[in-house]
Parts: sequence; structure tokens; C-alpha cells
Amino acid sequence: MPMYQVKPVCGGHIEVDLPTCMYKLPNIHAQDGNGSVSDHALQNGEVDPAVKALEARQDEIMRKLYELKAAVEGLAKTVTTPDADLDLTVSSSLCSQSPTNTAFQSPADLESLLGKDLGALRDIVINANPAEPPLTLFVLHGLLCQRYRVLSSVHVHSSIPRVPSQLLSCLGPRHADSYARQLFQLGFTLIWKNVPKLQMKFSIQNMCSIEGEANVARFLFKLLSVYPSDPALATLVDSWVDTAFFQLAEGGPKERATVLRALNSALGRTPWVAGSDFSLADIACFCCMQKCISASSAPANVQRWLKSCENLGHFSPAKLFQ
Amino acid sequence: VVLTFLRRATEEEQQAQSKKALKKQQKEAEKAAKKAEKQAKLVSMFWVCCLTSGAPFQLVLYRALVKVEDLTLEKVDQLLWVRARVHTSRAKGKQCFLVLRQQQFNVQALVAVGDRASKQMVKFAANITKESIVDVEAVVRRVEQKIESCSQQDIELHIERIFVISQAEPRLPLQLDDAVRPDGEGEEEGRATVNQDTRLDNRVIDLRTTTSQAIFRLQSGVCQLFRDTLTKKGFVEIQTPKIISAASEGGANVFTVSYFKTSAYLAQSPQLYKQMCICADFDKVFCVGPVFRAEDSNTHRHLTEFVGLDIEMAFNYHYHEVIDSITDTMVQIFKGLRDNFQTEIQTVNKQFPSEPFKFLEPTLRLEFQEAVAMLREAGVEMGDEEDLSTPNEKLLGRLVKEKYDTDFYVLDKYPLAVRPFYTMPDPNNPKYSNSYDMFMRGEEILSGAQRVHDAELLTERALHHQIDLEKIKAYIDSFRYGAPPHGGGGIGLERVCMLYLGLHNVRQTSMFPRDPKRLTP
Repeated sequence: MPMYQVKPVCGGHIEVDLPTCMYKLPNIHAQDGNGSVSDHALQNGEVDPAVKALEARQDEIMRKLYELKAAVEGLAKTVTTPDADLDLTVSSSLCSQSPTNTAFQSPADLESLLGKDLGALRDIVINANPAEPPLTLFVLHGLLCQRYRVLSSVHVHSSIPRVPSQLLSCLGPRHADSYARQLFQLGFTLIWKNVPKLQMKFSIQNMCSIEGEANVARFLFKLLSVYPSDPALATLVDSWVDTAFFQLAEGGPKERATVLRALNSALGRTPWVAGSDFSLADIACFCCMQKCISASSAPANVQRWLKSCENLGHFSPAKLFQ
Repeated sequence: VVLTFLRRATEEEQQAQSKKALKKQQKEAEKAAKKAEKQAKLVSMFWVCCLTSGAPFQLVLYRALVKVEDLTLEKVDQLLWVRARVHTSRAKGKQCFLVLRQQQFNVQALVAVGDRASKQMVKFAANITKESIVDVEAVVRRVEQKIESCSQQDIELHIERIFVISQAEPRLPLQLDDAVRPDGEGEEEGRATVNQDTRLDNRVIDLRTTTSQAIFRLQSGVCQLFRDTLTKKGFVEIQTPKIISAASEGGANVFTVSYFKTSAYLAQSPQLYKQMCICADFDKVFCVGPVFRAEDSNTHRHLTEFVGLDIEMAFNYHYHEVIDSITDTMVQIFKGLRDNFQTEIQTVNKQFPSEPFKFLEPTLRLEFQEAVAMLREAGVEMGDEEDLSTPNEKLLGRLVKEKYDTDFYVLDKYPLAVRPFYTMPDPNNPKYSNSYDMFMRGEEILSGAQRVHDAELLTERALHHQIDLEKIKAYIDSFRYGAPPHGGGGIGLERVCMLYLGLHNVRQTSMFPRDPKRLTP
């Protein structure tokens, strides 16, 4: 029997963690404050050139990755967007081409299309009402600028007191060479005027004025690319252009709904409105839709087609006026 | 015995005569008394004031006169005073209708026999000569039917008192109604119109017509807008001398004046002095002053003396800055006229109908080569470096109007051969120059250019044009001590007004025109 029994002072069995390290000293290689750089600093505070090179390579790789990502995204867009080539040399139709159609992009095109060069700027004058900006013509102007050297200018006629500033800059910034008119192949002069209907004037002696946005669009499109030489296809394009301008843009809600349904079914069969090639019909339908229909309320095929059009990049001038 | 008989007979006769005479005298005396009574009552209602004799006004000196322009329906039933000219007056029985005119405005007035007016007064009013200035106290009354022939159509004045301030001679050299009648209407209805020479000989009366008033008010507006626009752009107004020692443009068309022991010339343009101001670091200057051209051409658009509005400015990198500045000034003037002077434009159009003036902003600028191409397309044969003749300029104006629908445009890059010696050649193409002309309704209003600012080049160009260097020594010297590149141009005030309104003769827009055949008034 034990003599004295002392009650335990501390209860239970406590696990004691014995340290493996007796003393701990601060790391003499560490620098105060900089968390990440502290790992790279040498004893005298300089960064190792090898480490710098490594960093640079890493940044380069990140940048290339981003570029690759953007390129892949672009490719994805073009893959989903049907082919849209406006080059004169590539014609859609399977019929035989006449020799003149194989002419390459050269100033000689304009001679055959617009008449003999008299040594002066060929100036196309368009009179438009600022209440109804002609979106198709802005898009065609953009395409013309890619094709030819175009001198664009915007004027306000005295019949209109004032015009919003976005209508003054609708053709883009002033060209650096605009002081010398004869350096340009084509002139595009837009005059905001109080006219009932859009009007185009080119050659006073040989041409009367062309009226209506649809007709002017046809004229300008022919400077860029031929209509399909197959008459049935050409008529289809023309009919879609007329539908766009008369029923989409100017029609009531019922007419528009009908056109949208027709568009939907057409686009179900072909990538573009008038067949397998991009044409004036697509430009016309897109621009006429901008004014009245929002993209989300359109049927599925139409929405897909709208996305393809936007991916092309030609339509940015029209988007400014949405 | 016979003699006494005779004497008695004459006495009797005399007695009989004197009785009749007495009666007659009595009657006349009564009449005169009655008249005097009436006169005494009404004598203060009308009289002719003779201011030339220096007699002071016997009426109250301060009186508020209302302008005819302000006589509207608001003032109905008010009694007020008006001073105006008598345009017409005609009596009809117990009434006299007057048309009172003040500058562009006129109003119908009526004097009727009643408790305020006597028969003599009506007669007096009917006999006031046309163009006399009258003071009238009248009540404004509403009219049932609009008075089409007056500017104040809704009211007429019922006259209570009328005084003639300045009487006009009864025979006028021309009738104002005839002077305002459009030419076509005159021929159709067989009524008279006044031809230009008569108008110019009696300019003081011709200027009273509504059309002339409108034209010169618009001209004043042009001058005002010119000054305001340029001052806002930072230009300084200068005055240049008009008596100069050497002819500025060319020797032929200059007036010579005797100057003490030698002779001097009247300035053909402020060109030299404008440029000297630029060399004197004023950067941007303009001046408004007379210009004297001794051209013996009697055309519809030439005067020997006219008002020149001249601009000159230094530019930074390209002379198109000057063109842009000048065209912007012109566009601001046109806008100012379009927005603030419509009344005047409509008044002028009543007598001289024309198309309203159209322009583009920014101004259309075509190049000379384009113009030649357009003219050739229209069938005109001309060389590449040939200057435009007046008919060609007019044709070009019509072509530009048809294509661009503008009456105002600039033609840039003229051939060097047809410009004066101080024009800067085009650095890219030696055949052409940095010069420009501006046109309104197909007629030239401004000839301008970038000036040669280098003394060496200027000497070379002057020699090329076979000009005597001694005569222009002072001019060339002003460029020796650092001259900035500069350019400018000048317009004629009368010509601009004429073309803006679509009139056909510059004498209509010059108040007292000077041409080879006219030196007065």
C-alpha cells in the first residue's frame, strides 16, 4: 500500500511535440518587403541575369499564347462564316467567263466601267437626306476604299441648317493626300441635303441622276464586283435587294415578318441570302434590318447569318448608326 | 344845260352803282366774317411749317413719334404721332385717303370730314405733294379687310391733325411706284418702269424705294458679317493708303493724280500693303476700303471705284489653310444672310425674282484640270494652260450647279502662265501655281494665291514677266528681312451682293456708282 497519494496536478496524458530544430535564425538571404523577388535576389541584391532571361522567356510564351488564342478565335469565326469573296477574279458562276471579267484589280477597270479618263477626278456625288442615312452606301464606300484610292468628302447643303456630328464623320477621317485631288482614282462626295429621295449624280453629259438607295447601291456594287453572270441568280440577287429596300425598310410589321420568314428559309438552304456567294443582297438585307429589327428577335438562321455578316468586318460603318 | 343833264345822269348812275356795290360789299363782308370765324376755330388743325426761315416750332418740342413698322393690332384705339412721307394721296368726296411711307413700311391713313376735321382740311390733305414729310396725329383703328397694298395690313390711321414738315416740289423726276415695278409686269400691263440711267441720275429718290432700302441694308449686313467673322478668327483690321507711288497690279488700269510737283496713283488694290503687314508680324489682317480701277469696260459687273474686302494671312504648312479660312468666312456670311436677312431678300425678290442662293459647307473645291475636263466633256475646246474666258466661266458655273447644286465654289491650281508675277508656283508641277479663284453664280468674285515670300524667287519671277525691277524695288525689299509664307485674296462688296441676290447689274448694288461714263451724283 502507498504511503501518500498525491492527486495529479495536470490531468490526462498530454502529447508533447518535441522540436527537431533547437534554434531558429532568420534567413540571411531574404530581403525586406519584396515577397516574390526575394526568391531571386543574390547576396548583394542584384537579380540574376539567368533569372531575368527566364522571366523574359515566360512573358514571351504568354504573349504568344494570347496571340494564338486570338488567331484560333478568328479562325473559328471564319470557319463558321461562309466564304465571302468579292474579288473580281473569282466569279461564282460555273458558266464561262467573258475575257473582260478576268481583268485584275487595276485602274483599267474604271475605264471600262465609268468611261474614258479625261484627266480629272471621277467624282460620284450623292445627295442624301440626313433624316435617313443610307447605311448600304456607307458599307459600299468602305469596300470601295479597300479596292481603289478614293477621295471621300462630306458636305452640308444650305437647305439644311444643321446636321449631327456623327453624320459629318460617317465616311471616316480625312485622307492625308486630300489636298491633291488628281492623285485619287475615284471621288465619293456625300452631300446632306433636303431631298425627298436619295440621288446620285456622276456624269452630267452622259447620265441622268440615279434615284433611290437601291439603285445607287447597285451602281456602286458594280464598281467592286460583277453580278453573277447566270441570269437567274442575278435576278434573285436583284429581287432580294428590292425586297430589302421596299419591304424590310419601308414596310409595316406584317410585311417585315413575312420577309424575315422568307429570309429564314432561304438561309436554311444556303450560307448567304442569294446562294453560296456573298452578294449585294446580303449587304442590302443587313443594312435594312439595322434600322428596324433587333438581332435577338430574328429567327435562328437569320441570327446565324447576321453573326457571319458581322464577322466579315465590312459592316462596321453601318453599326455606328444603330 | 346839256352838261348839267349829263352830270345828273352820271350821278344817278353813280348812286345806283354805289348801292349795288354797297350791297355786294356787305355780302362779301358777311361771308368773310363767317369764314374768319370758322378759320379761327380750325386754324390750328393744319398748316405748312416753314423751317427754312428759322422760325421756331410753336408746338410742344418733345413728342414721341411712333415708327410705321410698329403700327400693329397692339396699338388699336391709341392716339399717337407718326412722321412719314406721303406716298400717295387721293380725295374722294368728303374723305381723303393717304398712304404714309417710312423706309420699307407703309400704312393707310384717312382724313374724313367730321368734328375733328373740316372740309378745308380734307382738301389740304389731298393737295399735299407726294414725297412731302408730314407729322400726323391719329388714332389707330382696326380694318375689316386686310389692306393688301401696304406693309401694315391690319390697321389704318384716322387722322386728327396733320402738319407738313418739309414740302416736296410737285413735279417728281420719277414716280416711286414705277421704280418698284418689276420689268415684266410693266411691259404686260403697259405701265411705266424706270430705266437705269434715270434712276442713277436721281439717285436720292430712287434710293427711297423699298427694293433699294432692302439691297443696301443687306449690303451693310455683308460688311458687318465680314468684320465679325474675321475678328472672331483673330484677324486685325488695317487701313492701307490709297495714294501710292507705283501701280500695284499692272500699268494700264490706274488713275493718276497730281501730287504737288509730281504725280501719284490711286491704289488698284491694297495688295502691297497687306503683304507688308504680314511681314510686319500681324499674322492675319483684313481691310475694307475703296479700290480704283481705270478699266474702260462698260459691262454689267465693272465699276471704276468699288469697295474692296481684302484678306491676307500667314499660314503654317500649306496654303490650303488660307483657302479654308476664306471659304469659311464666305460661308458664315452666307449663313448670316440666310438666317437674318430673309425680309430683305424677299423684298428684293418681289421686284427682281431669282433663285435662292445655295452653297455647301465645307465649300466645294475643284481643281483647274477637273474644270477643263468638265468643259471638254461639254464640248468646249481649250488648251490645258489656257485661262477661262467669261462664257466658259459661266458654263462651268452651270455644270457645277447641276452636279453639286451649289452656287459658290473654289477653283484651285490655276496654270502659272496666266497669273501675276507674285504668285507662288506649284512645287510638284511647275506648270501650275498655288492660286485659286472663287465663283458665285458662275461669275468670279475673288482671285487669290499663295504669294512668293522669297526676295530671290520674286526677282526671278518679275524678270520672267518683264517687269521693271526699279518700280517694285520697295515691294521686293519688304521680303528681305524674314517673311512668313502667306496668301490671301480680295472680294468686291458690290459684286458679292449683286450675285447673292441674283441681280444683273452691279450699279444696283452701288449707292453712287462710278463707271467710265458716270461721275455724279
